[in-house]
Amino acid sequence: MRHKQLAILFYIFQFALFSQDQEKSKTQIQKTSLSENFWDRTEFKVGFVGTVFWSNGLSIGGEYLWKENEKTKIRRGKERTNTHQFLFNGNLGFVTNFSTKTDTGAYTNFGLTWRRTNKKGKQFSIEMNPLGYYRSFLPETYEVNGDSVDKVFLPGRGYYAPSLSVGIGRKRKGKVRSANYFNINYTMRTPYNAGALPTFSFQYGFRFNFKNKKR
Amino acid sequence: MNLPTNTFKIVLLLFSVLFIGSCSNDHTLGNLDATVFVRHKDADMPAYIRGNGTEKVFLITLHGGPGGAGLGFQGNAFDQIEDNYGVVYFDQRGSGMSQGSYSEDDVTIDLMAEDVLALVKVLKRVYGDDSRFFLLGYSWGGALGPATLLKDQDEFLGWINVDGSHSPKDLYFEYIRNFERVAATQIELGNSVRFWESVFDELDRVDRNRVTLDDFNTLNRLAFDAEEYLTDDGFIKKVENGGISVSDYNLLTFVWNLLKIQSILDDDFIGKLSFTEALSEITIPSLVLWGRYDMVVPEFYAQEAFENLGSVNKRMVIFEQSGHSPMFSESNQFAEEVLRFMDENK
Repeated sequence: MRHKQLAILFYIFQFALFSQDQEKSKTQIQKTSLSENFWDRTEFKVGFVGTVFWSNGLSIGGEYLWKENEKTKIRRGKERTNTHQFLFNGNLGFVTNFSTKTDTGAYTNFGLTWRRTNKKGKQFSIEMNPLGYYRSFLPETYEVNGDSVDKVFLPGRGYYAPSLSVGIGRKRKGKVRSANYFNINYTMRTPYNAGALPTFSFQYGFRFNFKNKKR
Repeated sequence: MNLPTNTFKIVLLLFSVLFIGSCSNDHTLGNLDATVFVRHKDADMPAYIRGNGTEKVFLITLHGGPGGAGLGFQGNAFDQIEDNYGVVYFDQRGSGMSQGSYSEDDVTIDLMAEDVLALVKVLKRVYGDDSRFFLLGYSWGGALGPATLLKDQDEFLGWINVDGSHSPKDLYFEYIRNFERVAATQIELGNSVRFWESVFDELDRVDRNRVTLDDFNTLNRLAFDAEEYLTDDGFIKKVENGGISVSDYNLLTFVWNLLKIQSILDDDFIGKLSFTEALSEITIPSLVLWGRYDMVVPEFYAQEAFENLGSVNKRMVIFEQSGHSPMFSESNQFAEEVLRFMDENK
């Protein structure tokens, strides 16, 4: 039984090795030389964030292009060139549940985005934000200590909130509104009650490159 | 480089609207609509205060679960109660939209009872010391209610037990007895025979001498299934619209909280916790409301609660066409009983 499993693994492995080799022989990577100007490499974004049913809010942020390369592949006889980018990004957002006012908070997070853009401008990105902070804002809150009851000023709680987003988008070359995007976002809030709360939301918005205006 | 002024203004305006909209509360006594958080022992717990508070008489509700939702009571019955009195729907520690930061070891029924008393203090602070309170516990709230009253019943004008589980210690064995009784009757009547026969098969699989959490959960789930069959066969009236509306709770947060708090508390009370003996110490006016076909906390406990309560002024009402949730299945009669009790004892 054990030998059979090993044989299957070896069989799969040889295909992996073979395909990797094929990939290498057909792929060319060319590093893009980037502008030295900070604003050329910086985009701003603004969009809706939330879950529609329970929380709705607004997110703003910025991205700074760190590295970019062009990857050219021959696939099914055709040459395909995709741009791969690594960007530093930061976000600031505010969400609320108007219905019961129990899920209101502001967050900020920072991390790295990997983005692939094809010739048609279609984008796919993965955004990892290990540095994240979420501050809940509670409505009227009273703290009870023994017999004393005190109104709390700016009530809420702070949470470490790293996040991961996977999204798609479309680039608009040379336009001020340089792209639109749709991300599905996972954020963890910890410590939350007696554990770590997983939350999901989606983001839809636009990116802006104001430098494009001047061109 | 500057962001265009208009874009900046729009973004700022949207942030302001969101922030203001998320903070407003209405404490007008005639038409209460406020969400107030109670911060107590590292937890922030929302109390949704609704209804008519002109007399400053409030009905504090304790949801089921553990891990249920305070607003889960909403519906025709509670709309009628809200027309007459203030109703406080409370998300208990680790439930609904409660937040906080504490260890699993800190979560006990004792602490949760203190949370309820903390809520009373907050309500007095907001609406004045002349505010008066009734306490209503449903299902798991039927255990938390006595735990609260045994700490301090002077704060309350009356206790309303709705299909409450005051003795989870024996509930497992009562499940077995009740299933055998109801299944035999239903098979004899020829109702949903295949299901009720499968109930006997399930009873053969569980340990009849010892409570395990898995077996308890199996029978608990079976109890909810059984009520659906009893509804289909016309013994329980169909549940009217009510309960949580989709925008009230973030589903993921609610479910995560529910699973978490149950994983913490279930071990502590299933097969262990019982207030049966201590009920005699509860002497405030009491009302026991139960569904005849309650399979989740069987009718046996209505009688046990009623007999053991120490109150001189006590009353028991069995809803003939209800299961575990008479506030939804016989909502008008339910509201009538609660309002009569509150009118008589306020």
